[in-house]
Amino acid sequence: MKISVLQHAPSAHLPARRGDPTPTSRNLDPKMHPFARARERIRALNATKMERMFSKPFVASLDGHIDAVEVLARKPGSLTAVASGSWDGGILLHDLAERVQVLRLQGAHKGKVSGLCFSEGDRLLSCGVDRNVKLWDTRTSSDGGGSREGEAGPSEERKPLNVFAGKFAFNSIDHHRSEPRFATASNLVQLWDETKNTPISNLTFPTSTETVTSVRFNLSESSVLASIGSDRTFTLYDIRTGKAERRVVMQMRSNALNWSPIFPTTILLASEDHNLYTFDIRQLSTPTQIYKAHVAAVMSCDWSPTGTEFVSGGWDRTVRIWKEGVGRAPEVYHTKRMQRVTSSIYTADARFVLSGSDDGNVRLWKARASDKLGVVNTREKAAMEYRDSLKQRWNMDAEIGRVSRSRRLPQPVHKAAKLKHTMLEARRVKEERRRKHTRAGESKPKAERKKIVLAEQS
Amino acid sequence: MDALIARADAIQPLAKRRRTEYTPGRSSHPTSHEISANGSETTKPAHPDPTAASISRNTALPASLRPTSPPPSSAHTHKHIKNKSLRLTLDRQSAHSARTKELIKDAELLTSALGAEHGRIEVDDEMEKTWRVGQKDIVSGAGQEAAKGRKEWVLDGGGYRARYTRNGRHLAIVGKTGHVATFDWQSGTMHAELQLRETCQDITFLHDHSHFAVAQNKYVFIYDQDGVELHRLSAHVEPTRLEFLPYHWLLASIGRPGFLKYTDTSTGQLVTSHRTKLGSCSTLAQNPHTAVLYLGHQNGQVTLWTPNLPHPAVRLLAHMGGVTGLSVDPSEEGGRYMATSGVDGRVKVWDCRNWKGAVREWGARGGGAEVEWSQRGSLAVASGGSVNIYNPPTIHAPHTAHSPPPLYMTHPIPHRPLSGLRFCPFQDILTVGHAKGLSSILVPGSGEPNFDSSEADPFETRKARREREVRGLLDKIQPDMISLDPSFIGSLAPPPKLTTTDGQPADIPFARLPRMERLKVQGKADETEENDDDDHHHYNDGGGDDDGAEAAKGPRKTKEEKEKTKMRGKGKSMKRFLRKKRKNVIDPAAVAIRAKLDKQREERRKAKEVQMGGDEGVRKPSALDRFKRKT
Repeated sequence: MKISVLQHAPSAHLPARRGDPTPTSRNLDPKMHPFARARERIRALNATKMERMFSKPFVASLDGHIDAVEVLARKPGSLTAVASGSWDGGILLHDLAERVQVLRLQGAHKGKVSGLCFSEGDRLLSCGVDRNVKLWDTRTSSDGGGSREGEAGPSEERKPLNVFAGKFAFNSIDHHRSEPRFATASNLVQLWDETKNTPISNLTFPTSTETVTSVRFNLSESSVLASIGSDRTFTLYDIRTGKAERRVVMQMRSNALNWSPIFPTTILLASEDHNLYTFDIRQLSTPTQIYKAHVAAVMSCDWSPTGTEFVSGGWDRTVRIWKEGVGRAPEVYHTKRMQRVTSSIYTADARFVLSGSDDGNVRLWKARASDKLGVVNTREKAAMEYRDSLKQRWNMDAEIGRVSRSRRLPQPVHKAAKLKHTMLEARRVKEERRRKHTRAGESKPKAERKKIVLAEQS
Repeated sequence: MDALIARADAIQPLAKRRRTEYTPGRSSHPTSHEISANGSETTKPAHPDPTAASISRNTALPASLRPTSPPPSSAHTHKHIKNKSLRLTLDRQSAHSARTKELIKDAELLTSALGAEHGRIEVDDEMEKTWRVGQKDIVSGAGQEAAKGRKEWVLDGGGYRARYTRNGRHLAIVGKTGHVATFDWQSGTMHAELQLRETCQDITFLHDHSHFAVAQNKYVFIYDQDGVELHRLSAHVEPTRLEFLPYHWLLASIGRPGFLKYTDTSTGQLVTSHRTKLGSCSTLAQNPHTAVLYLGHQNGQVTLWTPNLPHPAVRLLAHMGGVTGLSVDPSEEGGRYMATSGVDGRVKVWDCRNWKGAVREWGARGGGAEVEWSQRGSLAVASGGSVNIYNPPTIHAPHTAHSPPPLYMTHPIPHRPLSGLRFCPFQDILTVGHAKGLSSILVPGSGEPNFDSSEADPFETRKARREREVRGLLDKIQPDMISLDPSFIGSLAPPPKLTTTDGQPADIPFARLPRMERLKVQGKADETEENDDDDHHHYNDGGGDDDGAEAAKGPRKTKEEKEKTKMRGKGKSMKRFLRKKRKNVIDPAAVAIRAKLDKQREERRKAKEVQMGGDEGVRKPSALDRFKRKT
């Protein structure tokens, strides 16, 4: 007869030398881990709560403008340089890392600065309602650009390198990706060469009588140009043919547009009807996605450089961050003192978001509200990744979903959202009853996304 | 302009829209995403999508991050799903879960290969009986470290009861007359020794050895490691038995008034108090897998309790006369088996999934036995003057004759009565309390050989203990999550009330239906089950493409088929006749014709069903039922 009794050798479970880690042992038998699921759920719930607890997105406020901020532009190839233009005609160049004004161009334009974009090198193009486009050199003496007099800090007496005079007030400006050309939007879309003082071509749709409010070059197919106008249209141009190629008339006018940096055929429109739309320009009859959450007109939008998210700023005093393809429940940022948001952009590293608003401040936010700024060590990073995967895994749980969805909104926004919901619900119920009791019910109801575009012209 | 845009590649002309229709026969072009998802190289498509080509340089997963191994063969592919991103997500998830399963299998192999071996007594021939082996032989055959487990503590405090911590390192003992001690039995370090000088009924450690609770004459008291009294739980009146639920941080007690009380030891709140209405009770056990408490009463009933139900979840008449011993098998998933013993001298083993009669029962000499299961499923029965130990699987093999299962070991103890039975976790040790103290005996094969440091570690350091305490508090499960079936957490939600399939004509517009219902109405719902069984791998093998095509074709019909099955001949003369008869006029002729038509229709339907191979008579609910007029 053979007898063996279980015994653990203590030496196998104690550190061999002083300072060694204590050996651990694992047994993956599920019987050894009772309540594994319940405990994981609790961990996921805690992770979600921690995310909400640590979501403090506001980073800094960059002041300096006297009047409302109208436009923001980030410098290509730079993580920190951002220019902002205001209704008082002033332009500021901010350094986000230092949170200082690198350059101050007071009275760059008479009336508001309506468009800003960076050109080759360190030059900045601005347009205003004073019918001028101005080209500025943004180099300061500390950069080593010795063309200016040697003062440090913001300069006020700086003269533009060039002034392009137009016939009408300009609404928007955008620079070509690679060539020294830019497009402006006024009553028509004009294409300029940086070396010539008159536009090299005028682009307009034959039957159009609109005021063009914004114009943007496609980022990868850089000769394609898109504009939106006050007569509820959205137009595509090609600068090689010099013609408007296609035009879409929509229910309501758009306030801003932006091309996706990753998908060349995707364009984002911020509409007056509180919604944002993404269109695939190969299929302009319906938007690919409707983004509904704002409770007032959306005034601005900008894609993240990764193309998976975008930011929008609205007349309802909120900034919202959306995921591409997810049309509801975006992240909402607001503060007590932020007024109507007129412009919003992502930074080039997709970690931060900037918003310019009617109160004259440029605000810097985190793109992910609960991100930790500063150095994160490996263990902390591993814990964060584990928490993220837990949240992702348990997002269908009712309580976890409730915690992760809950947002405190300012009372006016909350009330407006409620009112809007009531009104839409009433409209829907009425339509249902109408369909039920009249001959209208015999035909198929029109899908929401097919109501957006009224006509497609080419 | 079209030519120009086509050359520019970004905008395609209106006339040449991309084909969005899904055609199952044609294999879709694998893009860079697919390559990155399944890690296998695919051939270059004949007509590359210009958009995909232009972005692939920026969006494709770098080669260094692509999974190096192909997905395991047990992973499902979801070729029948049209939506590409959903399909890829599901494929990735199933590949991940298959990989995980393989890794777990690997780890189990490694544990069994490299980990400690469980104890056993092996017989050489039929005539050798394991129960003839006495403790002396076992001790002499055991290793030096294991032999330390055989101990006799001679104490004069009356009937003793004992309790181990979850890692099996520390032992708490209490005597009837109030002698309480906690100590590390391996190193022999005494933590606390108290003479309480009142009747003490039970003792239990809380989350670890740093706190313990004692059921004293009037109330439950909590002491710390050094024996300092921390709390008097005056809500727990005249307690007789204590249980601690470690993952919920609940201390439960039952006493002479018959109230089952739960106290949350992390907050100090009394969570619930259940009136059992069955009088004084002195048998309490917990199911370690579900945290359900089992009470054995004086009238022979066994009741199962959860904090959120004011009445027992299960009520069972187990014995004629009082229940004296109760234990739940921790070695089976979910605590499947329960053993009870009563003053009627019977020991019964119950299957907790089916309460209709015990699986096995036998008589124990002496009556008033106590029972206890070990981690690996050995059952110890202490009755009369001896402890008998039985081994699985014969304990819960159904057996009609009322004879005991084959005996594994027996050990006589002359000091009656035997009061508390406890197996030591992760050791082959059974501790029995009796009138003259305690005796620990060696039971080879009763303890689980491999522990998990994240749950209970006999060798944990002070720092690890403190970390585990904090972690346990963070992962504390709320009391209302306790239920008989703990797998309800994270399982599918109950079906919604808005449904078209239960035969009720739902008056809900299409747009307001849940997505699943809308798909069902359209005939597009994909209700193929995701199974782990081996016979469901047909998506994976060579015929996968055809199956996917079949599945996609199921609800959808070609134009010819539609034309073929289109309803014709609506204006038959009989129908016209019936239509002309007003519905509110009851004409016997029309009623008779209607009944006849209905009958014919039903017969036709049945004949068709039989032809199709389905079972006749049982009508499947259809999406069109909601349009059916109420009769």
